[in-house]
Amino acid sequence: MTQYLVRRLGQGVVVLFLVSLLTFFLINLAPGGPSSLLDMSTTVAERNARYALYGLDRPVHERYVTWLAGAVRGDLGTSINQGLPVSRLLMQRLGATVVLALSALVLAAGLGVLLGIVAALNPNRWPDHLVSTVATLGMSVPNFWLGIIAIIVFAVELRWLPASGIVSIGRSADIVDRIRHLVLPASVLAFGLMPNVIRVTRSAVLETKTTDYVRTARSKGLPDGKVVRKHMLRNAFVPITAMLGLITTVLFSGSVVIESVFGYAGIGRLAIEAANGRDYPVILGVTMLAGLVVVVVNLLVDLLYAVIDPRIRHV
Amino acid sequence: MSEVVITAAASAAPRRRSRFLARALRQPLGLAALTVLVLLVLLVVVGPAFLPHSPTRTNPLRTLQPPSAEHWLGTDELGRDVFARIVHGGRVSLSVGLFSMLVGLTIGIAVGGSAGYFGGRTETVLMRIVDTFMAIPTFFLILVIVTSFGNHPVTVVFTVGLGFWAQMARSVHAEFRRFKTAEFVEASRALGSGHLRLMARHILPQVLPQAIVLATLGVGWAILTEAGLSYLGLGIQPPLASWGNMLQNAQAYLFRAPILAVWPGLFIAVTVLSFNVLGNALRDVLDPRGS
Repeated sequence: MTQYLVRRLGQGVVVLFLVSLLTFFLINLAPGGPSSLLDMSTTVAERNARYALYGLDRPVHERYVTWLAGAVRGDLGTSINQGLPVSRLLMQRLGATVVLALSALVLAAGLGVLLGIVAALNPNRWPDHLVSTVATLGMSVPNFWLGIIAIIVFAVELRWLPASGIVSIGRSADIVDRIRHLVLPASVLAFGLMPNVIRVTRSAVLETKTTDYVRTARSKGLPDGKVVRKHMLRNAFVPITAMLGLITTVLFSGSVVIESVFGYAGIGRLAIEAANGRDYPVILGVTMLAGLVVVVVNLLVDLLYAVIDPRIRHV
Repeated sequence: MSEVVITAAASAAPRRRSRFLARALRQPLGLAALTVLVLLVLLVVVGPAFLPHSPTRTNPLRTLQPPSAEHWLGTDELGRDVFARIVHGGRVSLSVGLFSMLVGLTIGIAVGGSAGYFGGRTETVLMRIVDTFMAIPTFFLILVIVTSFGNHPVTVVFTVGLGFWAQMARSVHAEFRRFKTAEFVEASRALGSGHLRLMARHILPQVLPQAIVLATLGVGWAILTEAGLSYLGLGIQPPLASWGNMLQNAQAYLFRAPILAVWPGLFIAVTVLSFNVLGNALRDVLDPRGS
């Protein structure tokens, strides 16, 4: 077991390192420097001084090593547009995104698994077709458009829910208010995630249907409900857990756009602001953080694998 | 003996084609989706020549008008005809979607195929690169590239393609690996075929059905991604219309003219839905053993 974990940990570190390499060099391949440094009114001397301040006058590989050395200690550089340390900006905004992402994940996983099971237990009949339709719609509708429509319906017309933000002005301690602000963004995000969950759940449960152990359980006389819970679901959960790990990437991508639609001040919005302002250190930091989260989540998923399915521990 | 072989081969070909057609005709949803897409393509290719209004001419006297006989879908915040912008925007969105999928497809097949075919260290190195790209959430990767390289339409095409290639490479890699040891490959190698010939002329056709399915679904994904990028202001820039940046304009007027937000998104949804339905139908026709 520990051997398996150590091996996976090593792989994770390698991937993280490669991610940092890729991101750093992509950013630095850019033709032209950060836009705020290209202020035409400053003299050449002043501009060179600013370059030196941000270390942009040294060769790429040197800059990478310096950045990496700082990064492993938690120092991700300073934001060009805001003057604040990147790590502080990240920490300020990370919480909001985590809350949003977790809510969306719980919604998507809960509903998605349920719908997938219903579809698998009634293959090719109307529940299955209904669920497939929902899944296909979820994959086809642009999530930001769905968000805008949701704002029109629920915030503008019906006035049930707020249109944007994390919290109403002056009510930052009110949990209910925060939840009300979460409802629309999390639901819209979840709608985009559900198709994957449904698809994997459905095929995983369908696969268990034809196995010997399920046939044995049925022929023993076990009631169907027990067969589903004790045998089919337990085995179906392995691929489902795997997919939940993969979904993290989709979750992050989705939150970038959704946070923009709903004016939700999280990591996604930070990334967009940085992209618009050509704020390189922030973009680098945000992408590394996203990559880190993805790798960590996948590691945790592998751990969960080994817990759920004892056979994996001995591979 | 040879007459039997020739006759068998001759009768196999038309039977194979009619079997494909028979399966294709049994997919009503897929055919409906295909029809929708053909109509859409016709609209955006031929439409601009017949439009009564220009998509870029502003008219400050007639802003935010509801749909009428004059302006089929109304006018936007600058008085431009929405329908004309939808048609021109469709041109942009569809071509970006198609070309970025082609970029992703090409890179994905090249990398995945080489990794699966050559194996060994090439495979390890290439697949690690694929893993690295897949570890970064697609939108973040795209943001990084757009920040560095700007948002000229051609750049956008390549950027979205770079978000798509890694998934393609993974699937193609598995397939190439499977066929690497097939008998027909060995036979061809024994006859003196080089690596490129084996990969392109022998293995690739076997992988093509699955690749076509992924490509179709990929166009849908590419259209969604370009729309999202343009909505965020990082993709296609105005005054060039794209369904995505039309939605960005519309969001500022949600309280006054919410209908403006409905049209672009509706068109995106219908287009992507058709591609997805078509892709699923293609999967059933070309690759019936899967699921």
